[in-house]
Amino acid sequence: MANDREILREVWEGKLPISFQLDPDEVVELQQPDPFYLMVPRLSYFPLVTDKVRKHFLRYVANDKQDREMWLEYDGQPMKWHYPIGVLYDLLITSDDQLPWNITVHFDKFPENQIYKFSNKETVESYFMACLKEADVLKHRGQIASNMQKKDHNQLWLGLQNDKFDQFWAVNRKLMEVSQEQEHFKYIPFKCYLDDGYRQKLIKPVDEDGRRKTLQDLINEMFPGKNVVIKTHGMIPPLETPLQWMSEHLSYPDNFLHLCVQT
Amino acid sequence: MATAEVNWREEILTKLQKRNKIQTHCFQDLIAQHNKIFDNVNALKHENLQLSIQNEKLRVDGDRPAGGGGDSRLHEKIQILEQKLLSQQEELTELHRRKGENSQQIIDLNAKLQEKEKFLMARDISLAENAAKIASLQAEIALFDRNNKELNLLNEALRDEHQALHLAFTCLEDKMRKLQDENRQLLDRLMKYKTKDADRMNEENENFLNDGSKQLVRSTFGRFRKRFAKMQKEIEEACRDTRGVSPEDLQEGYGPVCQSTIPTKASVKFDAHDGEVNAVKWSPVDRLVATGGADRKVKLWEISKGACESKGMLVGSNAGVMAVDFDASGTMILGASNDYASRVWTVADQRLRVSFFVVMFESIGFVSNAAHHS
Repeated sequence: MANDREILREVWEGKLPISFQLDPDEVVELQQPDPFYLMVPRLSYFPLVTDKVRKHFLRYVANDKQDREMWLEYDGQPMKWHYPIGVLYDLLITSDDQLPWNITVHFDKFPENQIYKFSNKETVESYFMACLKEADVLKHRGQIASNMQKKDHNQLWLGLQNDKFDQFWAVNRKLMEVSQEQEHFKYIPFKCYLDDGYRQKLIKPVDEDGRRKTLQDLINEMFPGKNVVIKTHGMIPPLETPLQWMSEHLSYPDNFLHLCVQT
Repeated sequence: MATAEVNWREEILTKLQKRNKIQTHCFQDLIAQHNKIFDNVNALKHENLQLSIQNEKLRVDGDRPAGGGGDSRLHEKIQILEQKLLSQQEELTELHRRKGENSQQIIDLNAKLQEKEKFLMARDISLAENAAKIASLQAEIALFDRNNKELNLLNEALRDEHQALHLAFTCLEDKMRKLQDENRQLLDRLMKYKTKDADRMNEENENFLNDGSKQLVRSTFGRFRKRFAKMQKEIEEACRDTRGVSPEDLQEGYGPVCQSTIPTKASVKFDAHDGEVNAVKWSPVDRLVATGGADRKVKLWEISKGACESKGMLVGSNAGVMAVDFDASGTMILGASNDYASRVWTVADQRLRVSFFVVMFESIGFVSNAAHHS
């Protein structure tokens, strides 16, 4: 049952210090802009937190580029905005020594073949809701999410957007409940991130005997015969952690477990 | 089992807490502080910008920036006052100018007024002159009226007089007509007596013819005697009246000495008129003779070498012609008849020229031929 508020709270409050810097080639002013520091929630998405950043750098770029879409780059790689920020960090940063996270801001030369375009926050919202429903389909055959009202969807989204824990979890709790006849989810919704993308697989939280599966079982099923380390929320969870519990407590707001696989 | 569960949960919790401690709590305050400062900087920048704009504005507004704060306010006040003063001075100059214009206008108007007054005076003078003229003309009119009245009165008097004269004239005309009637009666009576005389003479002539040649001689003699007596009487009268004989006549030897040339023999004899021949006269220039007779005619005869030729008959008299006379040039003939009128004819065309009445006369003649012709 998703009632371990202590864990949920700690997960929710995970934030990352980020230093945004404008690409020096795009600066048209004489003075170089100061870097813009921001604490961003790990569970959020970049488009939801970069309004101020965009505003700050806008007056340093050429007039004809101001209307263009802003995009972020770290270490020569454009950031995928549809990944939660925590996932991006866990994927790209290996050591905490690199904090605060230096991210370069671009207005020009949008890499259309590497990342999706997002015209506004509605794009992000629709993507988020799509993920949520996919997870629900895996967990409850999609019955709970489709039975929700529009205002519940709105509450979920606004809770995430405004970093409101109680607002979000008041609705999300329903998604994390198990049905009465079953004590666990149908399948565990998770994404295993590798260097070239993520892998998914239908994995039940219990095996045929009714024994609860653990993270070790998941690794065995996903990467048989390989010695991998799973990292999520900036930490390496113990291998004996049950999958049902992990799904209930360590899922991102889109109800997926985002697992970074380190070989 | 339970401890195992607790173990992995505790481990996760610890890891999460450690994570948050490293990643979040270390930076949270710093970033928050930074953001605060950043916002402050931005706000200050903005404020600075606004202040500089304001400063610029003030600099533009005020001509010279004031030294101190208190001074600036004073200076501002002074400036305001100076501006006010300047505007007041401008106003003053404007007013002065307007005043000058007004005074100029007043002068102009005064001049105009004087002109008008002069004009008015001239008008008055002319008016007075005209009034005087009118008065004099009225006096004249009165005078003329008086004159007119007098003339009217005079006219009236003259008309009255004229009427009286007219009355007198008609009265006199009546009298004259009466007298003419009387005259005609007398003339008729005279004619009657004359015819009676003629009858008697005819009787005597017949008697004489019957008596023979003796009688003829006697009658001729008698006739001569009668004519002689008459002639004698005329001569006597002429002798008595010396006036008719001018001294020239006397000098040239006319007069009583000529008596010896009494014609004794008739060279031409002719019947000039029906009835008596009352007058005869030679023309002073031609060989013409004018005769006047009881048949109320004047006849002209040319006498030449024992023959006579009728040259014309002058008519117009209402009674027997008693006397005829030529004028000195022989172009006109004067005839006096028994109708109290005398008439003048011209010889050449034998036309009646003048006819006038003389109430009583014995004989006629051109008074002064010389005077008449001059």
